Amino acid sequence: MTVLFWICALVAIATGIWTISSRQPVHSVVGLIVNFAALAVLFLTLNADFLAMMQIIIYAGAILVLFLFVIALLTIGAEPIEQGRGRLAFQTAPSVVAGLAALLIMSAGLRVAWSQSASAPVLDLGSVATFGQQLLTTHVFAFEVTAFILLIAIVGVVMMAGRKELRF
Amino acid sequence: MPQVPLNLYLELSAVLFIIGVIGFLLRRNPITMLMAIELMWNAGNLAFIAFARNFIDMSGQVFAFLVITVAAAEAAIALAIVVMVFRRRENADVDDISVMRG
Amino acid sequence: MADFFLGAVPLILLFPLIGAATIAFFGPYAHRSASAFIGCLSIGLSFVLTVGAALVILPLSPAQQAIYAHSNFVGYWAHLPPDLIISFRLLIDPLSLLWMLIITGVGLLIHVYSVGYMASDKNYRTFFAYMNLFVFTMLLLVMADNFLWLLVGWGGVGLASYLLIGFNYDRPVAVLAARKALIMNVIGDVGIMIAMFLMYAHVGSVAYQNVFGHVSQIGTSALTWIGVWLLLGAVAKSAQLPLQTWLPDAMEGPTPVSALIHAATMVTAGVYLIARAHPIYDNAPAAAELVAVIGGVTALFAATIGCVQYDIKRVLAYSTMSQIGYMILAVGVGAYAAGAFHFMTHAFFKALLFMSAGIVIHALGGEQDIRKMGGLAARLPFAYWTFLVGTVAIAGIFPFAGFFSKDAVVDAVLNSHHPWLFVLAVITAGLTGFYMFRLVFLTFLTGAYRGDHEVHAQTERTMTVPVAILAVLSLIGGWIVLPHHDELSVMLSSTFGDARLPQSMAEFSGALSLGLLLIAVAGIAFAWIAYQWRPQIAAAFHRSLGGLHALLSNAYYFDTIYHWLFEWPVLAFAQWLRDAFEVDAIDSLPALALRAGGYFASLSNRWETGYLRRYGLTFVVGAVLLLFIYLFVAHGAAVGAAP
Repeated sequence: MTVLFWICALVAIATGIWTISSRQPVHSVVGLIVNFAALAVLFLTLNADFLAMMQIIIYAGAILVLFLFVIALLTIGAEPIEQGRGRLAFQTAPSVVAGLAALLIMSAGLRVAWSQSASAPVLDLGSVATFGQQLLTTHVFAFEVTAFILLIAIVGVVMMAGRKELRF
Repeated sequence: MPQVPLNLYLELSAVLFIIGVIGFLLRRNPITMLMAIELMWNAGNLAFIAFARNFIDMSGQVFAFLVITVAAAEAAIALAIVVMVFRRRENADVDDISVMRG
Repeated sequence: MADFFLGAVPLILLFPLIGAATIAFFGPYAHRSASAFIGCLSIGLSFVLTVGAALVILPLSPAQQAIYAHSNFVGYWAHLPPDLIISFRLLIDPLSLLWMLIITGVGLLIHVYSVGYMASDKNYRTFFAYMNLFVFTMLLLVMADNFLWLLVGWGGVGLASYLLIGFNYDRPVAVLAARKALIMNVIGDVGIMIAMFLMYAHVGSVAYQNVFGHVSQIGTSALTWIGVWLLLGAVAKSAQLPLQTWLPDAMEGPTPVSALIHAATMVTAGVYLIARAHPIYDNAPAAAELVAVIGGVTALFAATIGCVQYDIKRVLAYSTMSQIGYMILAVGVGAYAAGAFHFMTHAFFKALLFMSAGIVIHALGGEQDIRKMGGLAARLPFAYWTFLVGTVAIAGIFPFAGFFSKDAVVDAVLNSHHPWLFVLAVITAGLTGFYMFRLVFLTFLTGAYRGDHEVHAQTERTMTVPVAILAVLSLIGGWIVLPHHDELSVMLSSTFGDARLPQSMAEFSGALSLGLLLIAVAGIAFAWIAYQWRPQIAAAFHRSLGGLHALLSNAYYFDTIYHWLFEWPVLAFAQWLRDAFEVDAIDSLPALALRAGGYFASLSNRWETGYLRRYGLTFVVGAVLLLFIYLFVAHGAAVGAAP
């Protein structure tokens, strides 16, 4: 189990770094897909079967495909992207510093908690049945609200997609 | 088999999150920035699920599921906006957009 | 029936107000004659209701009147801590009824007259709205039962006067005249206010009943001060010395305005005030003395000026000033009923004079200078005869109205042991005959027509009928007070029953009446000699008394004095302030504020770059800081400690 964890963790981190640093958006998408796959395995190790499957199906299968379509839509001209340096001074260094500082702070905060191992797992913790039962009874309100959020997103996208371009 | 301690998962989640943050701040392509945001969402999901397993509470998983849903909605709308803004431009560069200056 | 009229008393007040509002809001959407109709109708209805109320109230005995005179329309209008309660009640005792009858009656006649007179004016509808507004505020003034609502009406008539004097607003002269009138009126308002403060300080109320009922509790010196401050108000409103300069200039307003406001009603508000406050003046002899002196001196003063004026309306304005001087003189010596009597007759013949003068002015296409008139008796017979009736009345010739009322006044002055005031009154009577008939001769009689305009005689009945009615009233109006048969004093007895002097006017001194008549006739004769028979006498007088003539023509230079004393310093100071101060110090202040604001804004502007990534960095830095504070500062989670 531990080995599996470390493999998946390394894969996730590596692909994550590759995603954000790749010059080609399509490469970033591929890296992200692999990242999601690694995370799905991690979910499985955490007894979240249903969610692992959902991660693959929805995230990797739908959202990232959407990303691909949009990339296709936007880069027809096939110019190399991100020409030259950025226009902002004092962006790179402070960003990196802030990020590393945040990481250090969070790690320090973690060090004081939860160093112990968990108890023995309950085998059907994340099964479809359990998940469904929890979702539709205890958390049914959140479920309904989420459906509403999806509706809003659909309506918003349909409205925006039909517009002529914004000029500014 | 010995379980992996919780805070390893949480450390991993933190690292992935910070990778996403730095990616968002350093890249100028809007699509890539959105993908960095997706990374951040997933890092959060990992943390939720880890806690769910640790405390034997399904709420974490349910919430992670809702996070996926909301992330999907957000990605859709954000991509629509990106398309609208950058449709006719040659380069998709976020630094070209500074209308809200001042 | 009686209850109906008593209950309808508030409507007397409301109809003109509703009329004004209706004309103001809906007049423009209808034909202009609708506005005239509404204007006359509202006053007409008020008049009918007033007559009804008078018929109910006046026959009652004084005790009964005291019960019914206070309208049931009561409302607590204000409660000003600690103990001042001001209610809105209407008072309809004989004194206010007399004023109400004149206001609505003569007002109705003048409204009807205006239908014809103002027909060619472009602001026809507005005129009737303003006139209705005036009647409303004047009625409010005389129907109030406490000094506060009197003051509200007081200010309201000042406003209406301003609006109406400046009615022809595209003439700068008229606008200036309106402003002058308003400013002087406001000075009077202040006087009344101070009197009210004193009343409240001593009695704790400003209602007539309370103040007059507790007059004995207020010391004589306080009463004197109250009387003096009220007098200031009366002087301003009634155009007496020293605040008289606005009245001649007010003639810039249309003739119906001069007739209604500056002859019959508004300028008599001062007389009403003093008559109403008679308990105060009865117990403050020094104040009453001052009232009488101002009245007497103004009467003579105005009469002298009227002898040399060449504008018809100005002569009539000064004669108004003089006659009101008589009224003020009367109430100053304690003859309140006589003052009210002269008010009534004066309303008749002064409105008549103005209106028939208006007919003349209209016929001549706007000419008002009597040097450009003459010989109009043949061409404008109706105007001539009605004007003559008015003149005879004002000169005090038996049996016209002025004879009786002027006799009553002079009689009272004689009996009040004020010899100098008596002499003033008598001389004024002679001068009145002189200058009024001078006016008649120069306008209607001497020789041929000297003017340039064509003479258009009109026969519009809206103008002639009211004038005819007033002519008849100028003849018979005085017969309400005849020897041994004084109806008016009987009517007013409930109001003036507690006056210091007996108010009966039935006892005429035959010798005095005859003497006054002879003096008036002498004045008339002198005018006839100087202007009609041997006009060169008048011309010779003008040449030889050049300096005196200039003095009188310029109204004793009051306008000049006031200009240099009050207007010029204020204007000079304001100009100095503007030049020395305002441009540099004050105008630059907004610019300074602008720059300061801009500076501070620019400091914080730097964060709003518009770049998405910069905003993101700001988020992250802030989040990191918060995280740090939350984890390590607020909750003291020490690094490396065991859980």
